[in-house]
Parts: sequence; C-alpha cells; structure tokens
Amino acid sequence: MASSAATRELQRDLENKANDLSKLQKDISKNHQIRKKYTIQLGENELVLKELDLLNEDANVYKLIGPVLVKQDMAEARANVKKRIEYISAELKRLDSTLQDLEEKQNSKKETIMKLQQKIQSLQAGKGKA
Amino acid sequence: MEQPIKGTVTSLSSLFPVEEAQKASKRVEETLSERHKQLNQLQDFTADNNYLINLVQRLPDQLHHDIMVPFGKAAFFPGRLIHTNEFLVLLGEGHYAERTAKQTIEILSRRGKALEVQVESVKALMQDLKAEASFFDATASEAAEGLVEIREDYVEEPSPKKASTIAEDVPRVEDDEYARILSRMAELEKEEEAEIANREELGGAGSDVSSGHVILEGEMKSSELKEKGESSRFQSTGKFPDHWHVESSKATSKGNCLPENLAYGKFNLTENAPTEPQAKEDVQAPVIAENKAAGRPIEPRFDSSKAFTGSIIEHTIDVNSREQSVSRNSKPVSRFKMQRK
Repeated sequence: MASSAATRELQRDLENKANDLSKLQKDISKNHQIRKKYTIQLGENELVLKELDLLNEDANVYKLIGPVLVKQDMAEARANVKKRIEYISAELKRLDSTLQDLEEKQNSKKETIMKLQQKIQSLQAGKGKA
Repeated sequence: MEQPIKGTVTSLSSLFPVEEAQKASKRVEETLSERHKQLNQLQDFTADNNYLINLVQRLPDQLHHDIMVPFGKAAFFPGRLIHTNEFLVLLGEGHYAERTAKQTIEILSRRGKALEVQVESVKALMQDLKAEASFFDATASEAAEGLVEIREDYVEEPSPKKASTIAEDVPRVEDDEYARILSRMAELEKEEEAEIANREELGGAGSDVSSGHVILEGEMKSSELKEKGESSRFQSTGKFPDHWHVESSKATSKGNCLPENLAYGKFNLTENAPTEPQAKEDVQAPVIAENKAAGRPIEPRFDSSKAFTGSIIEHTIDVNSREQSVSRNSKPVSRFKMQRK
C-alpha cells in the first residue's frame, strides 16, 4: 500500500514537471516569434536608413504618427532611425540571452522528468514482483 | 563457403524505423511547403513592385489623369490626379519622403533588388530542404525494403611491408625506415603545434637576424623553387611567407650550436626541394603522410651519395621546424651515426 502511495506521489510530481516543461516550451516559442518580428523590423529599419542616407539634405521627410503625417528634419529622422536600430539590436541581444536561459532550463527539466519516469518504472516493476 | 564472421549485419529498419524516417520526411516536407509559401509571397511582392515601377514611370507622362477615387470600401467617385510628378514614398517604419517619379523609381528598383536577394536565399534554402527530404524518403523506402547494413572492421595490414617493397635494394634500412616514418609523423604533428607558437615567437626572434643570411637563404630557395616549378604550390598554401621568416631567423640563432647540421640542411635543399611541398601537405593531411614518407627516402638514395642517407630527415626538420629545439635535432644526428656504422 505504501508503495502505491509513493508512486502516486511520484506521478503527481511528474505531472507538475511536465506542465512546467510545456510552459517553458511555450515561452520559448513565444520568444522565437518575438525575435522573428524584431529581426524583420531591424531589416526594415536598415533599409529606411539606407534610403534616408541616399536622400538629399533638402528633401521633405514625414513621419506617420497615428493618423497624421508630421514633417521631420532629415537629421532628426536619421537619428530616430539609428536610435531605433540600436534599440532593436539591444533587444535582440537580450532576447537571445533569455532564450538561452530558457533552453537550459528546458533541458534540465527534461532530465528531471526522465529520471522521474525511470523511478516510477522501477517502482512499478518492484510492485509487480511483490 | 562462409568465412569466419568478420563484421556485423544490421537491418536498416532497426537503425532507422520506417515510421520514424517517414515522420522525419513529412516534417521536412512541411517546412518545405512553408518555404514555398514564403517564396510565393516574395514573388508576389516582386511582381507588385515591378507593376508599381511601370505605373510610376507612366504617371508623369501627362499633366493629370482622370481616375475613380476609392471612397470607403464599396464606393468610388470620379476624380482627377494632378501633380503627377510628386510622390510620397513610404520608406518603412512610418517614414515618408517626398520624391519625384524618377527618384521613386530608383527607390523601388533598390527595393526590388533586396527582394531578389531574399528570393534567392529562400530558393537556396528550399534546395537544401529538398535534398534532405529526398534523403529521408530514400532512407524510409530502403528501410521498408529491408535493406541491411554490413559493417566489417578494417584490419590494418602491417605497413612495414609497404616499406620493404619500395626499399628492396636497401633491405637493412627497412626497420629503420619504418621507425623514421613514424617519427616523422610525430614530428609533423608537433610541427603543427610549434608553428602556432612560432608566430608569437617570431616578433622577438626576427630582430637579431643577420640580414645577409636571410637574403642568402631566401634567394637560394626562391631560385630552386622556381626551377622546380613548385613556387606556385607553395604560395597557394598561404602559410609560406610566415614560415620563411621563421626558418631564416632560426637559422642564424642555431648556426652557432649546430653548424654542421645547418650546412647539411642548406646543401640538401638543392636536391630535395621537391620534397618540401610534400612535407607541407603532410601537415595538413596526415593520412597521406605515410605513403609519401615511404616513397620519399628512396629518391635521394639513388641519385645522391650514400653519405647523405639519414640526413634527409634532418633536413626536413631544419626546413620545416627549426625552432623545434636543439634536443630534437640531436635525435636525427644519432640516427645518422647509427647508419654509418
């Protein structure tokens, strides 16, 4: 009887761990999506910067803010785009590190789950014999 | 009929279960179709872009165009397009710029080029995926057919045989030669390591080089190399110039302690120049080293005087890894003596 209680305990533990793991995996996939979005934005911003650099100094540049087009200085627009690129790169770096962290966590979780499964199996085998 | 069992026979399906292989191929197919969608989208973009370029090119042809202006989702009303040479171009990220038709076309064509690059990269990716998919498919079908993999350990034949066939007329050197080949392999390995350390060393060592020496050796070598038509091969390795410096600098520093040896090295250079590139290659491909090393000693033995046997290795050490300390040099010298008795 005691052994069955122990296995039940273990099984509950295993379930918890599995839930944690799935949560982690969800986080990771979310992170991946965000990362993808940021990389696309980075590419777009770089294109914008390239085009801005190709424009004449006296060209009219507008920025769409909400529903209105606001006239902007060339230099201002350039600075804005550069800042945006910097921000996005920093963000990408941050995301990378968190992603790595999450993956490590995921691996360790997987390992613990494997161990738990083995334990349960051995317990059940022992019960079968007894 | 059957030989004693040498290897193992495993069916491919036990290594790669059929379902697993099929699953893998399915997954690859999925990603492939995803890529295909992406490619289609990109190609749509390119088509749109080209159409837009055409339109922008045509618009300033007339002062104004009569058009139907979209109003809301369902309605249109007649209107007139004026200022046909003024465009507000979206650069991306909410930035717009006022441009003329010509400038707009420039921007659009740049964008088109970027799109083309993307299309190419996606195509390359798809090709990779296709190869992967075909591989998985092949594995799956092979596993389903019950293909077996036969694995047999390769039993290495004693290499001294090889040496003996080559050096038939000098049988007494046989063992010695084998040992030399082995030692040479070890040397080459060490050499590789030393070469790295060597470059760091180079800065300090280069200062006390007597220029006369360097030039002498450099000239000798380059002329020989040209004669042998090997110079191009050397340069292709890329490492050579570095190496060169090392040798010359070491030559002077060592000239004091081992003058005899050095003389040999230089003397032999003229005869053995063609072996140098081999030595170089050996460093990169140690597997071939054995064959080449076995074939090499025979050459000087025939054409050069007997007194030089055994010096071949010294020479290669000298040339390739002079910095490998005096202690290493002492080894070949003793072998030389051994040969003499």
